[in-house]
Amino acid sequence: MQLVTNDHVSKPSSARRLKKIGQYAFLIVLMLIVVSPFLLGFWTSFLPTSQISKGALWGKLSLANYWAAFTTTPILRYLFNSIVIASLTTVAQVVFCSMSAYAFVFLKFKGRKFLFYAFLATMMLPFEAEVIPNFMTVKSMGLLNHFAVMVVPFMATAFGTFMLRQSFLQIPKELKEAADIEGLNHWQFYYRITLPYSRISIVTLAAYSFLTSWNQYLWPMLTTFSDNFRPVQDGLRQLQSSETFNNWGMIQASACIVVIPTLIVLFIGQHYFKAGLNEGSVK
Amino acid sequence: MKQHRIIGLLGLLLVFVLIVSGCAIGHASATATAPREKIVFWHEMTGPAADQLKKFATQFNASQKKYQIVPEFEGTYNEAVQKILQTHGTSASPAIFQSMDVSTSELYHAKVATPMQHFIDKDHYNMNQIAAVPRAFYSQGGKQISMPFNTSQPVLYYNTSLLKRLGIKAPAKDPSYSDITAVAKQIQAKSKGKVNGMTVEEYGWLFEQFMANSNEHMANNENGRQGVPTAVNFDQPGAKKAMQWIQTNVKNKDIINFGSGSTAETNEMAAFLAGKLGIFMQSSADIGNLTSGMKDKLGICYFPHADGQKANGVSIGGASLWIGNDKSKSVQQGAWEFAKFLVNAKNQAIWEKITGYMAINKQAAKEPILKNLFAKQPMVAVPGEQLARTKPNTANSGIFMEDVVQERTLTQTAMQQVYNNGNIGKALKTATDSMNAAIKNNNKASGLTK
Amino acid sequence: MLQRLPKQVDNSLPSLNLAAKYKLTDSGYAIVFLGPTLMLLVAFVFYPMLKTLYMSFFLTNDFGKTTAFVGLSNYVSLITSSSYLSSLGATLVFVLAVSILTVVLGVALAVTANQELKGIRLFRTLFSATMGVSVSVAAIFWLFAFNPSVGVFAQLSQALHLPVVNWLTDPKSAMVAIIISTVWMNLGFTFLIIFGALQSVPKSLYEAADIVGISKLTQLFKVTIPMISGTLFFVMIVTLIEAFKSFGLIDMMTEGGPDNATNLLVYRIYQDAFINGNFAQGSTESILLTIIIAIFTLIQFKFLGKRVHY
Repeated sequence: MQLVTNDHVSKPSSARRLKKIGQYAFLIVLMLIVVSPFLLGFWTSFLPTSQISKGALWGKLSLANYWAAFTTTPILRYLFNSIVIASLTTVAQVVFCSMSAYAFVFLKFKGRKFLFYAFLATMMLPFEAEVIPNFMTVKSMGLLNHFAVMVVPFMATAFGTFMLRQSFLQIPKELKEAADIEGLNHWQFYYRITLPYSRISIVTLAAYSFLTSWNQYLWPMLTTFSDNFRPVQDGLRQLQSSETFNNWGMIQASACIVVIPTLIVLFIGQHYFKAGLNEGSVK
Repeated sequence: MKQHRIIGLLGLLLVFVLIVSGCAIGHASATATAPREKIVFWHEMTGPAADQLKKFATQFNASQKKYQIVPEFEGTYNEAVQKILQTHGTSASPAIFQSMDVSTSELYHAKVATPMQHFIDKDHYNMNQIAAVPRAFYSQGGKQISMPFNTSQPVLYYNTSLLKRLGIKAPAKDPSYSDITAVAKQIQAKSKGKVNGMTVEEYGWLFEQFMANSNEHMANNENGRQGVPTAVNFDQPGAKKAMQWIQTNVKNKDIINFGSGSTAETNEMAAFLAGKLGIFMQSSADIGNLTSGMKDKLGICYFPHADGQKANGVSIGGASLWIGNDKSKSVQQGAWEFAKFLVNAKNQAIWEKITGYMAINKQAAKEPILKNLFAKQPMVAVPGEQLARTKPNTANSGIFMEDVVQERTLTQTAMQQVYNNGNIGKALKTATDSMNAAIKNNNKASGLTK
Repeated sequence: MLQRLPKQVDNSLPSLNLAAKYKLTDSGYAIVFLGPTLMLLVAFVFYPMLKTLYMSFFLTNDFGKTTAFVGLSNYVSLITSSSYLSSLGATLVFVLAVSILTVVLGVALAVTANQELKGIRLFRTLFSATMGVSVSVAAIFWLFAFNPSVGVFAQLSQALHLPVVNWLTDPKSAMVAIIISTVWMNLGFTFLIIFGALQSVPKSLYEAADIVGISKLTQLFKVTIPMISGTLFFVMIVTLIEAFKSFGLIDMMTEGGPDNATNLLVYRIYQDAFINGNFAQGSTESILLTIIIAIFTLIQFKFLGKRVHY
């Protein structure tokens, strides 16, 4: 809604000002709803726990909680684990999904249609409903309690294939024809033309798979048993449940340590994300 | 333009990755040591107990050069049982693990551990130094299946200073339900509602204790001590009386409900420490937390019993140490050395002082650490006194049954219904039926009965 | 661009040569290009589904091995169990509430942020902030807010002399608390999608509406929402499916309680399989969950199919 741009000049300026105040007031109310949990978290992360447990929301501000989180908990190790897991997953997904998407768009082979529908069908099957046999599979593969257990099952997805396929379909037919005439084989066409041509979708998929991997909670909880491999989501759960004292200050600081980097990346990359997201969905 | 932004973003991410990995690797290399046999130790301790276990591990590692104990926290007791069973035989499984009292039967039948008796015999270890009640609890057919470790009693805590300030008489040492209600009511009234009278966590373990203290068997075959249990019954007069007591108090707002699970435990403790809660019922293992975090004077008395009835006594709670049978001989040997280290007199004395779990090594009482503690804080001795006056029988020696985890979930749910004003008989009946169906299935599945 | 690429030496008979080569190598290439993904999907999606189905007809022992065949009896006992049915009911309430509230709030945020005001970009950025929040962080923030003794809500009601709500221990309010937290987590993503859609609505439509004298509120319902209805439906169904899979917030905030009020389907699977050790029952519940989610995914496909051509 373009509430302001069409303002009539004839309106008295006081009414306009009133309207503007109203608009800002509404914006601020909505903003408070969205950010107050953050504010509360950030604020209390600087307060001494003794104050918080009295129910007070003021006191001497300090970085003590952050210091405690960094020195007495493996929070950095958790972050490191998550970054390793999410990066490996992302790279693998981009490679495998783009390859399979390429096959569906540019290769003619028997059973293509059938396979494509089979791929689509997997999108109906929630991973959450398959954890039991998957747990047994990774157990028999000897992957339990290792980075691989959180990467291998997610190295390729039907969703990623589908998304990149949609993007590869946009590549002009003439380009492929020209490449055929030039004598490019499929590897060359895939590597030199398809990937650069669809880079926006590929980066979107990368961002998406990174975030999805970063947010994994149930699977790592079932398959990791040591702080050396535990990703940050389960690390936080671990910290929260092992604190019998309700050390709220430290817990909030740990949560902030985890959320601040993602917020910074999000804010800087916001315009980019927006473009990518809308491309990925429907307009 | 767009590409620049992407590159900038990736660059930022890279810098972040480098910083974090630098720190994390720095951490890792600091703990790396010369080649030793790695002994992974799974535990479910939190707070000061977890810190103390880490200290024990460090001390043990420093005391010798052959083994490296690596303690790992594995969440709640309930979570850990399945983790132990499901990782058995893989490289992820622990060499030595702590598992709760009521999982004993399940782990025993699953044959995941080398019986402790094996090491005791080989080493001619003197088991007589270990207290008789916990020793019996973790034995079957006269053989030690696991090593008793953290052993607790459920007790009732109150804030002595708060009661004094409000001019309320402290409850009797062996209180009845209505004794406790009276105190809770006064707290509520005299503090003008500023302090909550009491709380009882929605927790299956406490439910078991209500039944034990009323001399009722939860499972048939005398709680599984005379044979594999084939049915349970939660819907018995003693259990009902306890639930009735709680429900009435919830209705009268003398009980504040903190819910269930680890969050509930931390919340009730936080409220108690902050002087916002007068009385609560919990494991004696909380003593360590309470004495170190409380400015007020702590009071402890026995687990309450029904009015006009003698207390039958409550069972011990806690956990024991098991040595996995899927690791090499030398790893198992290292695990055994660590187990011995944990239960020696000095360490048990430290353990009791720090945590509130009762020392299971009889010699621990002679250690100056404990002597001083009891002299300074006589109430800390109350759990031990409660245990000492209990005459062991099959109702108060724990439940030797598979799937007790499920029993705890179900009784916890029943308690939640009771707290939220549900029909007590119905809640207990539903839980009984669900548990009996589960027992039937599980006994069939694991071939314990036909 | 193509000029720079290496040229094949022999181009004398391109059409014949290529056609022959094309047919011959395509299937080979397909194996290479599709092979890894196919193998992964077979191992971690197709096979587990069949295995889950298989296990749901058996009883399992402590180690998850199938022991006794019981036919459909796992299904029968599940569907007749009042506790499972109440979980199912709770899940339905949860997903509906979450998806509707998410979309309504998402529209409110997007419409408000779609004004030309000074500093509006700051608001837009802040509105999308929850996208950067992972589940455990959200759980910790909200656990603190709902805490009965130090939480903000408890303190507010105390200050205003209102009865303190036991947010996470009363079955009804625990559900509300979980819904609030989930909706909050969803908001950033939803806002971005809806906002993107709003920006593509032609401005001329509003100008025309202004000239005719249609009020802003009427414009919202007669112009804006119909123009972005496709996106709204998309967001709604995606949120719905994701809500069915909720796990992390429940695990950290209520552990499925109190009185199973927040024991939603996925949490139940976890609890039955990985806490109670009953893998057969977990498998049976998994199959039922799959059926439910498959139905909604089909609806989503049908909708996507209209917009995305094969």
